[in-house]
Amino acid sequence: MTDQTEALPRGVSRHPFVDQLAKAFRTNKLTWVGAVIFVLIVLVAIAAPLLSPHDPLQQNILHRLKGPGPEFWLGTDAYGRDILSRLLYGARVSLIIGVAAIGSAMVIGSAIGVVAGYYGGKVDLVIMQAMDVLLAFPALILGLIVVAMLGPSMENLIIAISLTAIPPFARIARAPTIVVKERDYIEACRALGYGDLRIMTLHVLPNVLSEILVMGSLWLATAIRVEASLSFIGLGVKPPTASWGGMIREGFENILDNIWLSIFPSLAILLVVFSLNLLGDGLRDAIDPRTRSDA
Amino acid sequence: MTAPATPAPVLDVWNLTTSFRIEGTWYPAVRGISFALAPNETLALVGESGCGKSMTALSILGLVPTANGRVEADGIMFEGRDLARLSDEEMREVRGNGISMIFQEPMTSLNPVLTIGFQVTEALIYHQNLSRAEAEREALALLDLVKIPSAKSRFREYPHQFSGGMRQRVMIAMALACRPKVILADEPTTALDVTIQAQILALLNELKAETGMSMIFITHNLGVVAALADRVAVMYAGDIVEIASVGELFARPTHPYTEALLRSIPRSDRDTAELHTIPGAVPPIHRMPKGCRFAARCPLAQDICRAMDPPLEPLDPESPHAVRCWVRGGHDLAALTEDANV
Repeated sequence: MTDQTEALPRGVSRHPFVDQLAKAFRTNKLTWVGAVIFVLIVLVAIAAPLLSPHDPLQQNILHRLKGPGPEFWLGTDAYGRDILSRLLYGARVSLIIGVAAIGSAMVIGSAIGVVAGYYGGKVDLVIMQAMDVLLAFPALILGLIVVAMLGPSMENLIIAISLTAIPPFARIARAPTIVVKERDYIEACRALGYGDLRIMTLHVLPNVLSEILVMGSLWLATAIRVEASLSFIGLGVKPPTASWGGMIREGFENILDNIWLSIFPSLAILLVVFSLNLLGDGLRDAIDPRTRSDA
Repeated sequence: MTAPATPAPVLDVWNLTTSFRIEGTWYPAVRGISFALAPNETLALVGESGCGKSMTALSILGLVPTANGRVEADGIMFEGRDLARLSDEEMREVRGNGISMIFQEPMTSLNPVLTIGFQVTEALIYHQNLSRAEAEREALALLDLVKIPSAKSRFREYPHQFSGGMRQRVMIAMALACRPKVILADEPTTALDVTIQAQILALLNELKAETGMSMIFITHNLGVVAALADRVAVMYAGDIVEIASVGELFARPTHPYTEALLRSIPRSDRDTAELHTIPGAVPPIHRMPKGCRFAARCPLAQDICRAMDPPLEPLDPESPHAVRCWVRGGHDLAALTEDANV
């Protein structure tokens, strides 16, 4: 056997996923672009109260439907609210809903996928058939059904979007689990007496984690899009709260007076989705099984 | 076969049969083998690929896949309990704790995304209920025991930072973690190059002497057997065909298969024009012939060999050397042929 210890200095310890991340950023410069834009958007959302020039909910009839100008940089809406401030606060809503929905979908979906892949047979069949039923609905339709049933609110939006994202995560977690469970080290775990739950959580899950995380970055973009779409048709967060989808719709009502009302929130959505897709694509290429070492 | 005048065996396997289902029919891969393992003894299981030696080890640990596999035994006695009749829960207590296993492939037998330290520590926490700090101290001691240089600084490294030989040492450390009574080593040196092989064998021998454990060593390498084993069981097509102490086996190989195996070892100290091989191949599991399963490849085969399965019997009543052969096993062939014809 070749001695691979020489390649790395002694004591330097790197998780294989760290290597994959490093490779993603080294080989594909666009990954950097995506990461930087996304991090900036997150920072801006966090610092919204500090950065906003105006109160996003403050109505002012005297300043309604203004175009971009020195006082209101991106203009005002039909109630005279500052578009820039509403965009900054809207970023919070989009990101909170997206991260919460995808976070829970990631946890639940990968648990389902690992269990299905690990046990195989009938368990796998039943679980994956159920997932296929969910998958048959387009994300928007399923979200629409759930929100229509539960009523529009932030929590229900999160539940609805998370529900649509669980099946793809289950699929993404199941496939590598089927490969990993046949590996010698899982057999070795059994020979050490470990139970199924321990093997699944401590030994299988870390091996499928990178795939799940990459999928997460791509699905975060989808979640933000779906949130905007649901808000656009009036099933999103309740009106006074700023959300990008809601802002586009409100802008539509006055589009002949002020086209910027819809343009700016659309650009914001575009920017987030674009940055997440750049980031996700870069990561996905880096963990591509064809280029991955078998160690 | 229990050797006379030995202390109570740590592991006593009676009539173990492991079968697999192929297209609805069950075929035995291990056919009613019995053996006993004395304390601090190394028993080598030797044979060609597919003769059932690895299956024997997996059967003892209850690791034969249940979907298409089946293990039957009159008893697999370990510490007063019959492993063949333990629940899954109880069996998990034995695995890695009372009996542990070292696998053939060190390159793939460690989890690539977990640190070496974590993997050694885990077994200790799981079986011995140690705290993480205690377990880490113990794990470090183990890594030192298996002679991993600067174990402390390598504790947080990942398997890909270790060479094959070092990984096998880690595997051995994991197997030893809970001070098992028995280690099942399934060709632990096959994947390593020769110098590393020698180091690992020396290490295993040393550890065996230190800890007083017993070992079942599975290999197809007779050179390794000579270096390591106390007793040897030669397996062929799921049967033990000959079992004897290592000196006795090499001095007096009796079964024609053992003889042929020994002749097939290439020797550097003699000039030979060609390498000895055993003609033919092991019959496939679903087409085992009647009678002695080696008969088709045996130069000594008689009619009776093709008609009746020979029993594994001691060469003489006092001897621990047993052979499964009509011709060489000291049987009265004339009388037997008579019987078979009647």
